[in-house]
Amino acid sequence: MSAVTEQTEQQEKDGVDADYGRSGFDYGKLLAITVGLSAVAVTLVPILYVVLGGFRTTGQLAENPAGLPDPWVFFKYRDVLTSSIFWHQMLNSIIVAAGTTVGVVLLGTMAAYPIARYNFKFKGVLYVIFTLGLMFPIGVAALPLYLLLRDFGLIGSVWGVIIPQVAFQLPITIIIMRPFLKALPKEVEEAAEMDGLTRVGFFWRILLPLAKPAIITVGVLAFVASWNAYLLPLLVLQGDAAGHTLPLGVQQFQTRYSSDTAAILAYTSLAMLPALAFFTVMERRIVDGLTGAVKG
Amino acid sequence: MQTKEASGTRPDPADTMSAGSDSETKPEKKTRTPEQVRRRGTARKWGEISLFTGPALLVFLIFVVLPVGLAAYYSFYNWNGIEDLDNFIGLDNYRRAFGDSAFVHALRNNLFVIVMSLLVQLPVALAVALVLNRKFRGRSFMRMVIFAPYILSEVITAVLWLLILQPHGPLDAWMENLGLGGLRELWLADLNLVMWTVFFVVSWKYIGLAIILFLAGLSGVPKDLQEAAAIDGASWWQIQRRINIPLIAPTIRVWMFLSIIGSIQLFDMVWVLTRGGPAGASNTIATYMFQYGFMRSQYGYGSAVAVILFFLSLIAALLYMVFVLRRDNIDEGKRR
Amino acid sequence: MMANITRVVAGVALASSVLALSACSDSTETNPSASDAPVTLTWWHNGNNDPLLTFWADVAEEFEAANPHVTIEIEAIQNEDLQRTRIPVALQSGDAPDLFQQWGGGELAQQVDAGHLMDLTDVLADDIDRLGGAVAPWSYQDKVYGLPYTFGVEGIWYRPSLFEAAGIDSEPATMDELVDAVEALKAAGITPIAVGAFDNWPAAHWWYNFALRQCSKDVLQASGISLDFSDPCFVEAGQQLEDFLAVDPFNEGFLATSAQQGATSSAGQLATGNAAMELMGHWNVFVLRGILADEGIDVDALNADLGWFPMPATTGGKGDPTAALGGGDGFSCYVDAPAECAELLAYISSDDVQRRFAEVVGGLPVAPNAASSVTDANLVELAEVAGNAGYVQLWLDTTYGNNIGTAMNAAIVEIFAGIGTAQDVVDDMTEAAANQ
Repeated sequence: MSAVTEQTEQQEKDGVDADYGRSGFDYGKLLAITVGLSAVAVTLVPILYVVLGGFRTTGQLAENPAGLPDPWVFFKYRDVLTSSIFWHQMLNSIIVAAGTTVGVVLLGTMAAYPIARYNFKFKGVLYVIFTLGLMFPIGVAALPLYLLLRDFGLIGSVWGVIIPQVAFQLPITIIIMRPFLKALPKEVEEAAEMDGLTRVGFFWRILLPLAKPAIITVGVLAFVASWNAYLLPLLVLQGDAAGHTLPLGVQQFQTRYSSDTAAILAYTSLAMLPALAFFTVMERRIVDGLTGAVKG
Repeated sequence: MQTKEASGTRPDPADTMSAGSDSETKPEKKTRTPEQVRRRGTARKWGEISLFTGPALLVFLIFVVLPVGLAAYYSFYNWNGIEDLDNFIGLDNYRRAFGDSAFVHALRNNLFVIVMSLLVQLPVALAVALVLNRKFRGRSFMRMVIFAPYILSEVITAVLWLLILQPHGPLDAWMENLGLGGLRELWLADLNLVMWTVFFVVSWKYIGLAIILFLAGLSGVPKDLQEAAAIDGASWWQIQRRINIPLIAPTIRVWMFLSIIGSIQLFDMVWVLTRGGPAGASNTIATYMFQYGFMRSQYGYGSAVAVILFFLSLIAALLYMVFVLRRDNIDEGKRR
Repeated sequence: MMANITRVVAGVALASSVLALSACSDSTETNPSASDAPVTLTWWHNGNNDPLLTFWADVAEEFEAANPHVTIEIEAIQNEDLQRTRIPVALQSGDAPDLFQQWGGGELAQQVDAGHLMDLTDVLADDIDRLGGAVAPWSYQDKVYGLPYTFGVEGIWYRPSLFEAAGIDSEPATMDELVDAVEALKAAGITPIAVGAFDNWPAAHWWYNFALRQCSKDVLQASGISLDFSDPCFVEAGQQLEDFLAVDPFNEGFLATSAQQGATSSAGQLATGNAAMELMGHWNVFVLRGILADEGIDVDALNADLGWFPMPATTGGKGDPTAALGGGDGFSCYVDAPAECAELLAYISSDDVQRRFAEVVGGLPVAPNAASSVTDANLVELAEVAGNAGYVQLWLDTTYGNNIGTAMNAAIVEIFAGIGTAQDVVDDMTEAAANQ
């Protein structure tokens, strides 16, 4: 974690300063700030509406949809924060996302390793097979996948979400890991060889630690994808709301308490916050992952 | 930034050597090359390969390839999900899809989002990125905020905008306050407007990604190039047009690919926002598939639509590979 | 969708306190074969909100207490998920719940044809007799495959005070009078009718009613089996809808208006007095109250100012003018379910549970002996209309089954949207029938 932060800071320092044409008043900077602030406003206003709306009553919202809380009420948030369902759903989201992340990182890195560093027949085929997985949205396979999970007895279980999510997240993971692993110098392997490490030992003791930056990237992507997933949890984690993940919870909350707009806003903003907080820490990783992913 | 980052994070070989095995290894000692290692036994090599790729391949085949294959299989049947799967109808489901005006309309809506993304999101995002590509206080904060919606789930984004766009809701009130009350529209109820509304919400969520990717690309453009151009008297716009935009072209292509694939597969957001309505006006292929597959229990037909969806994604991906990833493939070819 | 009892009852949470009392009821019939080997029954219902959620849990507990060898595992699932995803897939996979939500009609027939449902005709003969004609939608080819626990007809819910403000002095009895009322309300600046076309079915119900008046009983009932919609009355129903739409009777933005979600929904507009009328089923009174309760608005004003009248008569149709559209919720047993499933179903539809369903949940029960437990004036009137109806036609989408029903509803909404014709509806229904 600290490595990431350092790195981000380092990049911040390295960031290209495009301040050319610095004579006199800097209109460019003014323009940049104006454009930036407008973009920030367009982004933030809807989010603030949700967050602030949770501090209003539904009556206030009906009376003046665009107003500010007056007076501020805290019971909508309190109600959500004191409801065990919300915390259950939060916990479910965390378990599913963490499980998916660990599974993807482990299986993905393992699979990417031979593809990146071995020479063997079918290597290209193997890579293409995994790459094609990028084209399968989970929706394409939703029904047969559901039947399959039922046969495995995974319906209603978090594993029924975690395992398919790992499977569907493998392609992007392998696509990101491969070039990274490939770029590691041959000498690393040779050195390990001299130390008498087997390939397996090399993978565990040398490669995994070396691949940490890429692992963090794919891990973050997997975590975010899982955190936001809707369709698969919808199909697998039915029934009791306490077994839902947060996106499912928000959607069901919206239909169930459809009349209580303020409560929906409070629920939505609380469901949004963990993702946003996580994101503020991991922003750079996500960007890198996304660019890295498609550049191959 | 991205390019820099990638190279920056790659461990320096020297560092690794010293940190990892300095005390035990004498670097000057000549060892077996990896080629020699590989020759030591193909059996062992294949064992290792299976060990490493096996688990991933197994999970991938069972949970991705098999279900997709089953979908393809179901697509040749008229099947309601209840009765036995015994009514083989060949390609009828596919014929039916392309003969159904509602499906063609859904297809057009996906195309609309693709084209509008390229026509609207791309220039706007590029302009914003070019303008923001300089140092000023609060730049990191701005970037983070602009990117934030990308991290929200589509469901939450849709619920958020559903509440904002409802008739007599906050958007109407804001417009009223700004003196734009006359422009108030039924954002989600108007057949001719609803796709624009959907596109707006999609853009709200995803344009930050474009901006951030472009900014990352721009920060990788060598500073001296820009400075040299500036000294030669090039205007700001000339620098952008001659240096920055061409140099981030790969990033732009990457974004285009992400955008096209995302537009083809658009589901969660439309589903929560409009369920494809009103009267099918905002259906995408994926929502159309869900309506037939799950809501009308025409699993065979729904599967055929799913397969079409898959092929469209595949075509986009193949085009991408041909035009963007070729460089990478050529590299690989040379190395062999 | 007729199972809107889910949302229907969402607002009546107050009633749950009464539940504790009735849970002590000792009227549970004891099972003679109580010494049987342990049995686990799985029960899927759509009562995922209180008071129904607690009510069913209590009913299950009572049954377990009376039958110690039975354990009941309940799963309460959101209505659309249950009906459209869980049950079809569960049946297909062969691993279905023992007792599950059943809406009757064409969907039930399809499940029977696929061999998924338990024949209850003999096992529950007494209960079927006791419940009477309401069981009809849960039967197929003279056999009974499920029992309902609630049933009602639909009509127009309205706010008398708004009628008064617009100078309308009587409930419209004909379409002409309804059109006059619409014009009067518009002249007074009041939204005449709210319709939640976003959910499709509320809009489609207007067409159903025109079809009910336009088609003869024989044609309509035969169409449920033959799936033949070639009788011109179906197109005429759509034309009548087009004529009615021409007077622009519905709320602004009705295409994006949901039926029951919040103050801006069609029910919400009626509840808050922003619209004067809404065509809706028997559950509506609970939806209206629930919305007000959620909005923090006192329901007394609504209770004092809510009326109901049957769908007005049309002219020139071959249909029975007293016929009504209706529907309800019930349960079926899976074909391989243990015998105890039928016993549980009998208990659920017993007079005692039915009475409590009326008193505690506020629902409209099926059992004639529980009718006296209904106290709401509008529901009483509604029950009377149902009782005097020439015949009660099950909601058409349920009658025709999910596939045709969904296609039909979507096509009707296209008429509402101005992009479809009366003929398109029939064409789409015919096409859907050909593809199932």
